[in-house]
Amino acid sequence: MRLANDILLNAALTLIILAGVLLLIRIWRGPSMLDRAVAVDVAAVLIIAGIGVDAAMTRTRYYLSIMLVLAFLGFTSSVGIARFIASRDRAGTKERP
Amino acid sequence: MNAWQQTADLAGSILLFLGAAVCLAGVIGMLTLPDVLTRSATATNPQTFGMLLLVAGLALRLRSGVDLGTLALVAFFQLLTSAVAAHLVARAAYRTGQTGDCALLYDELSAPEDTRPSA
Repeated sequence: MRLANDILLNAALTLIILAGVLLLIRIWRGPSMLDRAVAVDVAAVLIIAGIGVDAAMTRTRYYLSIMLVLAFLGFTSSVGIARFIASRDRAGTKERP
Repeated sequence: MNAWQQTADLAGSILLFLGAAVCLAGVIGMLTLPDVLTRSATATNPQTFGMLLLVAGLALRLRSGVDLGTLALVAFFQLLTSAVAAHLVARAAYRTGQTGDCALLYDELSAPEDTRPSA
């Protein structure tokens, strides 16, 4: 039982780290700033997920407040980008009549 | 540790693994889909469903009152804020013309000025 728990939790952590690497590829390649804004949103979610899996492994509760703050404020970066930068970002656009 | 606690631990581990798998699926979708709107759509997959699975698994493993309250707040704020961010990003994507090759089925924002619903 303990071995199954360890295997599942380590596999979950591996999947999250793999997702983070793939997300870095999207941030690197993302043709416009909005793609990067969405990707940074998902990066905040992946950080929350990694903290959660770590808290489940060690059964500690000290990082749950960090999860709460990230869930509450993680969207501000993409909102700021969408409000103030995207109107000047013309990468890969087409003219709209 | 009795049987119920062992069962709850195993169920929590399985839920955490499934949540991580959903997160990975969403990120793979972000890599493969073509434009901002579809990427934003698949980004809500880890933001809502994966996050709910992870929070449920962590709650099954921690099993104390204060932690359950904190995790419920995490899920609530995540569901609340991801919708706001996705809405603003999609609207900015439309304004700057990054909506792909006009594959929108119904384009409500392109109505004339006087019939457009106020934003």
